[in-house]
Amino acid sequence: MESILSLCFAILIAPLLPAVIQKVKAFFAGKQGPPLLINYYTMIKLFRKGSVYSTSTSFVFRMGPVVGCVTSLMMLLFFPLAGIKPLFSFHGDVLILFYLMGLGRFFTILAALDTASPFEGMGAAREAFFSTLAEATVFGILILFFRITGSLSFAEFFSGRHVISLSSEHGALLLLVIVALYIVMLTENSRVPVDDPATHLELTMIHEVMILDHSGPDLALIELGAWFKLLFYSAFLSMLIEPFHLESALLNSLLFYAVVCFIYITIGMVESITARYKMNMVPKFVLTPFALVFFVTILTMELVK
Amino acid sequence: MDTLFVSFVVILAGGVMALLLARRFNLMKLVTVAVMSCGCGIGLVKSLSLLLSQAPTAEKSWAWLHFFELTFKVDSIALFFLIPLFAVPPLALFYSLQYMADQQKRVRVAVNYFFFAILVASMALVVMAANMITFALAWEIMSLSSFFLVVFDYQVKANRQAGYLYFIFAQAGAMFLFAAFALLYSHTASFDFAAFASVPEKAKLLIFLIAFIGFGSKAGIFPLHIWLPKAHPAAPSHISAIMSGVMIKMGIYGIFRIYLLLDAATPIIGQVVLVTGMITGVLGVVYALAKQDIKQLLAYSSVENIGIILIGLGIGMVGVSEQNQAMAFFGFAGAMLHLFNHSIFKSLLFMGAGAVLHQAKTKNIDQLGGLMKRMPITGRTFLAGSVAISGLPPFCGFIGEFLIYYGAFHGINNQRFSFILAILAIVSLAVIGGLATACFTKVVGLAFLGEPRTEQAARATEAAWGMGLVMIVMAAACLVMGVVPEPFIRLAFAGIRDVGFTAGYDTQAFLAVVRQLSQAILIFLALLALVSLLRKVLYRGKEIGSGSTWGCGFTQPTVRMQYTGTSYAAEIIDFYRPFVPVRRLYSGISRIFPGKTTWETGVDDVAEINYMQRLIKPLLQFLNSLRWIQHGNIQLYIAYIIVAIIVLLLFL
Repeated sequence: MESILSLCFAILIAPLLPAVIQKVKAFFAGKQGPPLLINYYTMIKLFRKGSVYSTSTSFVFRMGPVVGCVTSLMMLLFFPLAGIKPLFSFHGDVLILFYLMGLGRFFTILAALDTASPFEGMGAAREAFFSTLAEATVFGILILFFRITGSLSFAEFFSGRHVISLSSEHGALLLLVIVALYIVMLTENSRVPVDDPATHLELTMIHEVMILDHSGPDLALIELGAWFKLLFYSAFLSMLIEPFHLESALLNSLLFYAVVCFIYITIGMVESITARYKMNMVPKFVLTPFALVFFVTILTMELVK
Repeated sequence: MDTLFVSFVVILAGGVMALLLARRFNLMKLVTVAVMSCGCGIGLVKSLSLLLSQAPTAEKSWAWLHFFELTFKVDSIALFFLIPLFAVPPLALFYSLQYMADQQKRVRVAVNYFFFAILVASMALVVMAANMITFALAWEIMSLSSFFLVVFDYQVKANRQAGYLYFIFAQAGAMFLFAAFALLYSHTASFDFAAFASVPEKAKLLIFLIAFIGFGSKAGIFPLHIWLPKAHPAAPSHISAIMSGVMIKMGIYGIFRIYLLLDAATPIIGQVVLVTGMITGVLGVVYALAKQDIKQLLAYSSVENIGIILIGLGIGMVGVSEQNQAMAFFGFAGAMLHLFNHSIFKSLLFMGAGAVLHQAKTKNIDQLGGLMKRMPITGRTFLAGSVAISGLPPFCGFIGEFLIYYGAFHGINNQRFSFILAILAIVSLAVIGGLATACFTKVVGLAFLGEPRTEQAARATEAAWGMGLVMIVMAAACLVMGVVPEPFIRLAFAGIRDVGFTAGYDTQAFLAVVRQLSQAILIFLALLALVSLLRKVLYRGKEIGSGSTWGCGFTQPTVRMQYTGTSYAAEIIDFYRPFVPVRRLYSGISRIFPGKTTWETGVDDVAEINYMQRLIKPLLQFLNSLRWIQHGNIQLYIAYIIVAIIVLLLFL
């Protein structure tokens, strides 16, 4: 019951949190910014609309948003939000989940290429490239966590005998992992400095340009998927950051979502004070966390026996 | 076991019938395909039942030429390799019914079927061989018959060259094998495989490495792979399917078999195999990404998958030398399962590529596009195969990789070097997976989606129904194996039953995980259905418009403005530049009113360049300096012979 409630709450709150980023950015720019509920309004607006499809497209174009949204949703289904036991979990679920994310990417890229637009092709090529680099980091992190906990499941990472937490004996190692995962989060969710969701020129976009031709409910599904994904990554991060485990599930959740909120605020801050990197700098930026994680993993050779 | 020999006889009879009935084209095809499929069916049923019934190893031998003995033996590993070997050819044959449609070439087609039969039978004999003589015989028949299959269109010069290159690699590889066998014989004085284990430890490593090169040239490990991207585009598509799906696996079989027979204690063998696998896998997929010819791309992708299989085997071998039973078990089982999966989805993709070539008359991605609407069945099945080969759930490619990951993760708790190897294996598997996604989104996205880039692509229509049917069956198989993987995983487990070290490993806990895995996939599919339904509901009664693609304000788009395969891959290729040299030819602008200017790019194989520069050129120079020996003077030739005989008689 608790797990279902926790999941429902996460799904409901997923559209709210990105508005926090927009608020922070507006604050830095000295503006008032959109209302916090802006994404719900957008959602309702998009759901009410119809769509225009390009004559170039086929069924793959219509499948893209559905697959993308569902694969992101799967992550939340298997993740112990606020330490509450997830709905499903088994030994090895992280492998299939990250591969499902790959499936989502596969269809998003195909949907972009289906439009025959040179801009969307460009975005797709970049997405394919940067995600291969980010994937190596993700698996590096999984290796480290397996080394510490002997487990391959999100639920077991954060419960049981060897818990991954800043306050545990491996806490020091986690500091670097947190930085690495933060960068992966920025990459996978197309945030500054890898990609700028608010840029005005199609040639400089990655994710936004891939969904140029989607409209109406299709676009809404894509947006939902993106919000779920961002929530998953920040939940993952905040489970690493938050060192306490309180008795009450409610208090625990409160603390957890406070940390999640904090992560969204930092994303907003990063976006306000940095600019997007030049495209040829991005691979170097995306590879940095891999170097960090690899270093940490090597360190465990002596620390974790 | 006799039933298996019956199936060989039936398959060969099918091949001979093709020759006899060559004049009646359609009858010949029907009879041959039916008889050969029947033979394969018998073999498949028998080997499956033997594998599942836990039958002990059976042996059979015949005397040959009074001196040698032909010995055959089936254990669980041999039986496992027999399954794809008997399962894929009938599908390829059925596909060939409509693919080989040219009446003019009827004799050639008949000969092709004849060698097809010999190839299938000889591959089965390779797997069952239990002594060196039998093995070498079957191996050579396999190489030669596949050579004739490759040069089907021998009038095209490029195809002949591809054939010769394959021939050279096959024979050079065999030479290494014979060298390894000779070394073995010098130690054991016996042709029997069972005697291998008694070779002194010191010699084992050398023998393995020599045999590894020999088998590797057949399997296509980097840098011995360069015949694959030449031979596959040259061969007819169903032949490519068999060669890539089944035949190159014989190289893997050889590596696995000689490893088990030698039973060496040195950890270096496992490390060599694992590192070779990683290099082969990553470079294979990067080259695949760089190629614009679909069949060449698929050939490089075979190299990549051989890399993944070798990673699995390497994990298993490292597990054995580390005394880590779980790691060894899942490594070997993962390699077996991936091998099985690959034989299905790679055959499917080659058949799809064949259909495209047949209908659109080109296999260059940069000239295709928009085929999904014109060839719906080929397009959809190719999409399924692409998802499978990228190792993505819910298709079968994921399951094999899952097992290998599982094995590799069990190696994380090892110490020192094998820990580093396990990390590298996992990371390279992840990188290969990501790059394979990029590679196959390129094929599907650019060849099948978007707008046709040329007239001939726009005129393409769906392939004949029989070809479509085969592809549907294979795509469905990929999906079923991905969603309900348990029986197939059990099959792979049964396949490595006779591997001594991992025998008796308790699989119950893992099978429970597999059940949950398939549950997770079902949840995903259910959610997918649910959201699709939601989408349907949201769109009910709405206005659905259609227009041209948004060109960001540009109003005169043409199909030539689409992203091409070259541009899609450019950035990733650039990242791997030292290993993947990009050739750029630019004619330049020299005058005030420039004439025709050209710009050409392509990717050359770094292995090929090095062979050319470091091996072929010096060799040719050296041989040129020996030309005077060949003067055409018959008396002197006779003198050569006499001198040679005298030298042999007197001094040796």
